[in-house]
Amino acid sequence: MATKTEYDDFIVRGFIISAMVWGVASMLFGVIIAFQMVYPQLNLGLPYTSFGRLRPLHTNAAIFGFALSVIFATAYHTVQRLCRIRMMSDGLSRIHLVLYNLTIVLAAITLPLGYSQGKEYAELEWPLDLLIVIWYVIFFINYLGTVIKREEKQMYVAIWFYIASFVTVPLLFIVNNLVIPASLMKSYSIYSGIFDANIQWWYGHNAVAFVLTTPFLGLMYYYLPKHINLPIYSHRLSIIHFWSLIFIYIWAGPHHLLYSPIPEWLQTAGVVFSIMLWMPSWGGMLNGFLTLTQTRDKIKVDATLKMMLVAITFYGMSTFEGPLLSIRAVSAIGHNTDWIIGHVHSGTLGWVGFLSASALYYLVPRLWNSKLYSENLANFHFWIGTLGILLYIVSMWASGITEGSMWRALNTDGTLMYPDWVSITEELKLFRLARAIGGSMFFIGICVMIFNFIMTMKNKDSGFEATDLRVGVRG
Amino acid sequence: MDKLLNWFSEIADRWDTNAIKFTIYATIAVIIGGAFELIPPFFLAQSVIPISAVKPYNALELAGRDIYQREGCNNCHTQMIRPFKWEVDRFDPSGAYGKDGYSKGGEYVYDHPFLWGSKRTGPDLAHESQIKPSVDWHKRHLINPQATVNNSIMPPYPWLFLESAKLNSEEIVSHMKALSKVGVPYTDSDYSGAKELVDGKLEGDALIAYLMKLGKDTANLESSVR
Repeated sequence: MATKTEYDDFIVRGFIISAMVWGVASMLFGVIIAFQMVYPQLNLGLPYTSFGRLRPLHTNAAIFGFALSVIFATAYHTVQRLCRIRMMSDGLSRIHLVLYNLTIVLAAITLPLGYSQGKEYAELEWPLDLLIVIWYVIFFINYLGTVIKREEKQMYVAIWFYIASFVTVPLLFIVNNLVIPASLMKSYSIYSGIFDANIQWWYGHNAVAFVLTTPFLGLMYYYLPKHINLPIYSHRLSIIHFWSLIFIYIWAGPHHLLYSPIPEWLQTAGVVFSIMLWMPSWGGMLNGFLTLTQTRDKIKVDATLKMMLVAITFYGMSTFEGPLLSIRAVSAIGHNTDWIIGHVHSGTLGWVGFLSASALYYLVPRLWNSKLYSENLANFHFWIGTLGILLYIVSMWASGITEGSMWRALNTDGTLMYPDWVSITEELKLFRLARAIGGSMFFIGICVMIFNFIMTMKNKDSGFEATDLRVGVRG
Repeated sequence: MDKLLNWFSEIADRWDTNAIKFTIYATIAVIIGGAFELIPPFFLAQSVIPISAVKPYNALELAGRDIYQREGCNNCHTQMIRPFKWEVDRFDPSGAYGKDGYSKGGEYVYDHPFLWGSKRTGPDLAHESQIKPSVDWHKRHLINPQATVNNSIMPPYPWLFLESAKLNSEEIVSHMKALSKVGVPYTDSDYSGAKELVDGKLEGDALIAYLMKLGKDTANLESSVR
């Protein structure tokens, strides 16, 4: 294939390796802090290993280390193929790769040292934020430049989702991270109190939207049809759900602040748009499902396809649970509890985690030009991962609803039934242990995947042949 | 409905041949909702009713707040009490706030950043000064939580009380000056008084001073002060 040599695949391989490294790191820390919530001795009595410092490390490594690496790897891979040209500048791509990984390394050092702006998913101190802005601008110029120079008339759906993400994320990031520096590694948000809360959750919710949702929908729209060798089910549906999704998502942030002192009308706007968001989300889910069912009898033989199926299922489930949790009466019981942690992880492990893994299973054999080392291990990864996610979210449902119910339980004389806080945490111990085990199972799955990839990479250039998954075609 | 969808998808279909146009339209689509939610609370509506009794953190309390942020206490403790009977009863056991024992916007005007948290693994601390007013209890609890609260899952913070955890008043003053640039009304006497408040104190003392400040200004108020 002469055309293949035109594309810059070095950069894709680079980001695949960073995804593997930061994926393992972020999930390892996730497992550690999950066990810390059951066995506080695991905090080791040291500042650098205490929960309050490791939890931001886990979330930042997972979002900015793992998810972003996958997004960049797939963005570089898909944009070149969908535009039929090489990246505008290989130099810019390489600078991006180096500065990006430098940022994550610095994050992994500064967060355990306690340097934190104190806002969720925006903990990194201002010098690191500036570094992020620099490589982001470099990346964005390179990406958009490639799209503008493209040799294909139409931009395919996948590109829409990537572009929408890449314009929105800097907007959110910059507005929320505006701080006044007090010293090199200490700063204060320029906003105060309820204004800061409002901006933080506008950012926090849309980080979920434009980092963990829209780029991954773009990814689904490319790798799912490519993997099964069949077109997407509906182009019109993709147009409708794309525009409605990006328009509505940005409004939904205040559902994180129900019953707080932010203005009532703002909370209501957040609730209304969160519920409206259900439909465009399910538009994407349906388009994914209907595309996938064109080849449904191959699901049982192909681990990558199974992962895509489960990822889309979890996307549908968590985008139903989200609107549900944003209703005031449900938020009253779910807010601040483990239920929210379960909800986030059905999205992050189920949707982002499995969709990322399926894209990596698609990419690694192709980019290293070698057959996947073991389909059985991929199958094992699928099963242990799926069971792990289920154990995780079911135990968090149980824990969160128990917690929320015990907080509000009253005796007949109107006094609190459980005034002693620790009697509630004691009740949750078993659920939290089950969560930690579920998370460990998912982590084992990721480790098996990495082993599988390393063995595949060792056989570099031994030749790759795609299996045709279309119905009636013998592979 | 079907016609409407057809009409829209035909128009949108034309955008995806022009990358610049597409990017601009996508940006507009997200800016509408963003502007609607961010701008009015700042400029149009009076979103916070001021409470005149609420005063900025003094040097020692601010140092404590920095420690609270550094140790990530907000990952497990909320600082926002919702207006429910069960929350008010739990987090205002002494009835210090009358029937208004929930959090109000005016209590947070000097909070840069806000530290409401999103996960209540441990109890809410917004009005901690009225719940556990004992400095000595907090010190023992921070050094070894399980010594005061059996079966607690809170990590220990012994390093806050080591000799190496001595505070530096000059550093705190520079922090206060940064905050004054974003609107916290510190005066020269606040800066000059910092030395006396802070010097010789440990990080743990500052953290406890901060906990003793939480909810203090709004407790036991005459209703006319609001």
